[in-house]
Amino acid sequence: MIYLDNCSTTPMSEDALKEYGKYASACFYNPSASYAEANKVRLKLDEAREKLKKMLGAKGGEIIFTGGATESNNLSLKGSEREGKWEYVVSIGEHPSVLEVAKSMEKKGRVVHYIPLTKNGEIDYSFLEKVLNKKTRLVSVMLVNNVTGAINDIKRVSQLVKSLSPQAVLHVDGVQAFKKLNFSVNALDIDLLSISAHKFHGPKGVGALYVKNKTQLKNIIFGGGQEFGIRSGTENVAGIMAMVKAAEEIDTEKAFRHVKQLHDAFLHEIENEKGISVVCPDGSPYILCLLFAGVNSETLVRMLENDVVVGRGSACSSKKAGNSVLEAMGYSREQVKGALRVSFSDISTLKEVESAAKIIKEKYLELYERTK
Amino acid sequence: MKVILLRVGELFLKGENRYIFENALYNNIRKSLEGLKFTLTKTQGRLVVGGFDDEEQVVERLCKVFGLTSLSVAEEVDADMGEIEKHFSTIKCDGSFKVNVTRGDKRFPLTSMQVAAELGGIILDNNKNASVDLYNPEHVFMVDIRQNGKAYLFDKSIKCQGGLPLGTAGGALLLLSGGIDSPVAGYLMAKRGLRLEALHFHSYPYTSLEAKQKVETLAKKLCEYTNEVKLHVVSFTKVQEEIHSKCAPEFMITIMRRIMMRIAEIIAKREGLGAIVTGESLGQVASQTMQSMTVTENVVKTLPVFRPCIAMDKEEIVSVAKHIDTFETSILPYEDCCTVFLPKNPVIKPKLERAEREERQLDLDALISLALASEEVVEIKR
Repeated sequence: MIYLDNCSTTPMSEDALKEYGKYASACFYNPSASYAEANKVRLKLDEAREKLKKMLGAKGGEIIFTGGATESNNLSLKGSEREGKWEYVVSIGEHPSVLEVAKSMEKKGRVVHYIPLTKNGEIDYSFLEKVLNKKTRLVSVMLVNNVTGAINDIKRVSQLVKSLSPQAVLHVDGVQAFKKLNFSVNALDIDLLSISAHKFHGPKGVGALYVKNKTQLKNIIFGGGQEFGIRSGTENVAGIMAMVKAAEEIDTEKAFRHVKQLHDAFLHEIENEKGISVVCPDGSPYILCLLFAGVNSETLVRMLENDVVVGRGSACSSKKAGNSVLEAMGYSREQVKGALRVSFSDISTLKEVESAAKIIKEKYLELYERTK
Repeated sequence: MKVILLRVGELFLKGENRYIFENALYNNIRKSLEGLKFTLTKTQGRLVVGGFDDEEQVVERLCKVFGLTSLSVAEEVDADMGEIEKHFSTIKCDGSFKVNVTRGDKRFPLTSMQVAAELGGIILDNNKNASVDLYNPEHVFMVDIRQNGKAYLFDKSIKCQGGLPLGTAGGALLLLSGGIDSPVAGYLMAKRGLRLEALHFHSYPYTSLEAKQKVETLAKKLCEYTNEVKLHVVSFTKVQEEIHSKCAPEFMITIMRRIMMRIAEIIAKREGLGAIVTGESLGQVASQTMQSMTVTENVVKTLPVFRPCIAMDKEEIVSVAKHIDTFETSILPYEDCCTVFLPKNPVIKPKLERAEREERQLDLDALISLALASEEVVEIKR
């Protein structure tokens, strides 16, 4: 079985697993306790924080460890929400952990602007420029879209935000970008950035939020005051240590070159099949969103599952009908029904990918024949 | 000692055959309480459950035994006025009340009226806010003096399902799709004494494994009432593909359902079942018009098709589905095989001749054999 649903999750690396075991068992102490062994754990945790900051290209700022990207995204939005006539801007292509928070804010009477997507999957920058003003409190735009792989120009977004809305904070969902693309929060002038460990061979249930100015962020969880008072609760030490270990293991540039090769090889295999089209051929090479004409991709996924494991859009919303990101890009319901997401990882091999592409093409044609 | 008094409904009407129904009920009660500590005794035609630790669980399960109309958790004491009075002196009562006495044991020294007056007096003495109201009381305290030398004291009765004991009407095969209606149909027929087996058609890979698991969950929920359901799962993929490629699209569903019915009849007869049960409700969808049902039922030659939801509104069906706790599962969004290859305009008033003509494009025997060869059986138990 070839696994190509790496945007959904990845297997934990062996070293990360070892690190996890170490901090779940031998070094199990509560980092907030006052004895020496606990203090050692505290120091390791702080070291991990610094390593992560460095990998994110942060100068200053802070890392808040969380229970994953959904929590990081919720914290960013809810923690930036303020009383008064503030406005909030999110792109319509965001993950549900951003969009649903925005919708809940809207229900409370807050003004929320939803940035539409253009045909190439990026946000509509001119729309953003139009809605930004002095009352804008928060802007949330993801770096890499989890459904299509489209890459938003965050530099352009931050320049617009900083010049037109000096009081606004810019939140970026970096889940599909961290350790996959080379970027720096400092160079892109990002205020808040979410990451999730299990997308890069770390464990599930752990993530982080980079915060440029932590005094600007309110806590949404109350308790013992851990994580600078922003995220109470005993730290998931084993998860955090394993996450940072997993991140350290990946050479982002080398992995990118490898995955780009996989991506191109896959496209080469399917290029002559006119029933298959690629949504964002120039997006992140880690994600290939494909449209299969005339079939239901849900059926195709099941036909493939013994040979190749692939996803359909966002696994987090696969229980719901439709795929709002593709519809927001202007694709019809019928086209969206045939959407399938192939996503690579640094440990996918060229042989696997070439053979997966052949199988996918074969099964697609078979399904097409059976249902036409 | 705490006991549970059980009351039966229609069983009393069954004349000469009454013992068959009583025995079935007796066995069904034992089966439903399997795994729990209890005793079950029959005295003077009354069923009494005792010796239990987990009252809540025992009551919950008894409430789902068909044939019982109501039950009461009672205090069992010796049929002795001193004992009964001792219990009544502990009763807390605020507001109006009456005491109802039935005396199955005519050897008891006092009459029912005398017992009631005596006990009412005790309540009045101990509760300053209590008053007697024989016509519209807020509380009714019951005393049932039986021939076995025991008296049963209780003040509430809990409604049960009613109906007839499971299995006394025979067995039937329920077509279980995964929607809201079919579990309700199964429940309603089981309540009339039918033992159930179920038949589910899936169309993997067009339908998901979750859809099949959902049907297993629904069958499991029905087991709360039926103890067990033998679930037959048959792959319909090839049949649907063939119909899709060879027959007129508007007849897709009509022909599908005719083939489903044929397969159902074969399985039902093989399993010794005497009827087919479906969740159809008149006019709900195109395949549930009178004309559609005529064309569908035409293929079933030797068994009756029971459609207990036929005259129910969707809301009524939903309310039963909620009562039997299948609703939340039924509305999970997994496609069932009826929604795959769904034509845009299914025929609403199909003609039998046309359906038969369409079917001639298919090798029916081969398709049915192929489907039957895929049959899996899952024994589902509560």
